[in-house]
Amino acid sequence: MIVAGVDVGSTTSKAVVLDDRRQIAGTSLLPTGANVVRAAERAFREALAASKRDESEAAYVIGTGYGRYKVAFGDDQVTEIGCHARGAQFLFPDTRTIVDIGGQDTKAIRISDRGEVLDFSMNDKCAAGTGRFLDACANVIGMTLDEIGPASMNAQKPIRITNVCTVFVESEIIAHLARGEKVEDILRGVHLAIGSRTAGLVRRVGTNPAVTFTGGVSRNVGMVQALEERLGVSVHVSPLSQWMGALGAALIALERVEGGAVHRIAAGGAA
Amino acid sequence: MATTTQTTVPPDLGKTMQRDMLAKYYGALETANADGVPVAYLFIPGNIVELTQCFGFLPVYPEINALQCGIKKVAGENIIRAEDLGYSADVCGYVKNDIGLMLKDRQSPFGRLPTPDLLVCNYSGCNTFIKWFEALAHFYGSEFFLLDIPYIRESEISPGDVAYVVAQLKELIARCEARTGVTFSEARLREILGYSREAEDLWVEILHLARERPSPFDSYFEAVFYMAPVNMLRGTPESVEYYRQVLREMRARTDERRGPVPEEKFRVVIEGPPAWPHFRAFWELFKRWGAVAVASTYSKVGGLYDQGVRHDPSRPLESIAEYAMNGYTNWNLAKRADLLRRYVEEYEADALVIHSVKSCRSFSVGQADFRESFVNELGIPTLMIESDLADPRYFQEAQLRNRIDAFFESLTQRRLTGATA
Repeated sequence: MIVAGVDVGSTTSKAVVLDDRRQIAGTSLLPTGANVVRAAERAFREALAASKRDESEAAYVIGTGYGRYKVAFGDDQVTEIGCHARGAQFLFPDTRTIVDIGGQDTKAIRISDRGEVLDFSMNDKCAAGTGRFLDACANVIGMTLDEIGPASMNAQKPIRITNVCTVFVESEIIAHLARGEKVEDILRGVHLAIGSRTAGLVRRVGTNPAVTFTGGVSRNVGMVQALEERLGVSVHVSPLSQWMGALGAALIALERVEGGAVHRIAAGGAA
Repeated sequence: MATTTQTTVPPDLGKTMQRDMLAKYYGALETANADGVPVAYLFIPGNIVELTQCFGFLPVYPEINALQCGIKKVAGENIIRAEDLGYSADVCGYVKNDIGLMLKDRQSPFGRLPTPDLLVCNYSGCNTFIKWFEALAHFYGSEFFLLDIPYIRESEISPGDVAYVVAQLKELIARCEARTGVTFSEARLREILGYSREAEDLWVEILHLARERPSPFDSYFEAVFYMAPVNMLRGTPESVEYYRQVLREMRARTDERRGPVPEEKFRVVIEGPPAWPHFRAFWELFKRWGAVAVASTYSKVGGLYDQGVRHDPSRPLESIAEYAMNGYTNWNLAKRADLLRRYVEEYEADALVIHSVKSCRSFSVGQADFRESFVNELGIPTLMIESDLADPRYFQEAQLRNRIDAFFESLTQRRLTGATA
């Protein structure tokens, strides 16, 4: 028996297949693109293929992320807030605060020692301080997302980035470049700006250690450092952090099966 | 009254009657200018409609027109029309809707609105009100009267504040007499106030029925319809009859243990105005979780009747003055927070939901502090969501749904495990 969590985010879709011993049997990651339903299906099938398990063994599937209602083959939907909480608490049981920075959302979540969501706070209707903000900055500088984090760590004199707007920050960066500021100093400023914004969000729910940093942006080492600096505490980061939502969804799916839930619909609308 | 629930109550009697009353009201507005009926523009919070009624004025409420435009899905185009004229994106959506309507020759989906003969700016906690009616006075060339309502800074209203408002009301009476040629009759005012009081008593009785389990009605998504007559058309026998009928309907629902959702799973208190341009979609986000508002502050913007505020025929001008100061947004933040806390307790609510709207600073100021103190000091689960009351561009359904779903998910989970904030 296996279960799966499918996290259809604004930028990427992720899936995790878990076996009945809570071991990860397979994962997948792909761009969501325009066809959300297909992205969900592909994520699930690729994770199944990676696990070398058959779809018929899947007892329960939970969809999460913005596209959770497009996981047509799923048995239920749970928000990514609940799923990140479950996933983070599984990997780091001492987690009390979760910071999730995704493609267009930043969330701060306070959880209990049993992983229950007690409070959460999210960015307003704007992509400032999210993955898109970093994306815009990387683009204008001409680097990839994977390059900007390490580069930012070489900064000597971080530049203060004042813009919180994802669109206007580009012109601010161009102005700094034109003045001959160093790329790494600008990048460090960008990371610290997001760190400050995120720390403000975290303070709304309380910075209770341990803090676990999840979501795609947590892969960025520069962002981890900036967040730790602004929060004043060290943070847990897992190599699986990008799959935290999908992992949480799969864990909740497994708990549902253990609680007697029954799989209803086969994947791909075959039922 | 004992036999009222024995006869069959038509489904949605209160909403049907309200719709008919508003249709009649807007019908009268449409011909007011041509018929020579004087028209007074008023704001809802703490309005003095009883007084203007003494002189035969028909009231026009630009806030109501704005919310009606929101529901009828034309607020967006009105707002853009006002922005084209130069109004900034940061200006209140209600104001821009009104300016947009004016630019369209006051043609609304509910008929053509009359021009004002008198603009009574019953300024109550909202600075924008002053600029709004000043702009209308400029555009229409109408008489403008600023009724300065002191903000309630202390826990109680001082006698000096009452005297200050009463003095202004006397000045207003003289202005109304001069404009209409009608001599003020205190006897007539007392008669009108008697109807107001009766409607207010009945409305409070209805509001208190939400303490039942299940609550017979949603004290936010349904109360906003039921509250229209007591906010707009007080002082008439029709409004008294309206609340008799709504009470009858709610008692019948209570007897049948019927509520606004098939199964009441969560009882919430809601703070802030609704997202009028997406009203149904907004309500659905709560309904699907079996969440019912058992108390709300928006249904008290007209007046805090449930907190004992009443028009009183034996103290005509004094009670109008006290009422004018007791709109919800004219209360200081400590009083507002205390009211919210008492609502959660008295109505046995599971949580507080704050809908913060971009347009209305009188509402949204302090809401982040409410959230923080409710969660951290009182341990009451609190959800804060944002959109707007008039501007459809600020309603992001996916993001709202995400927050609302996550909130009720966590309440469900905590109910199973008994965890507290």
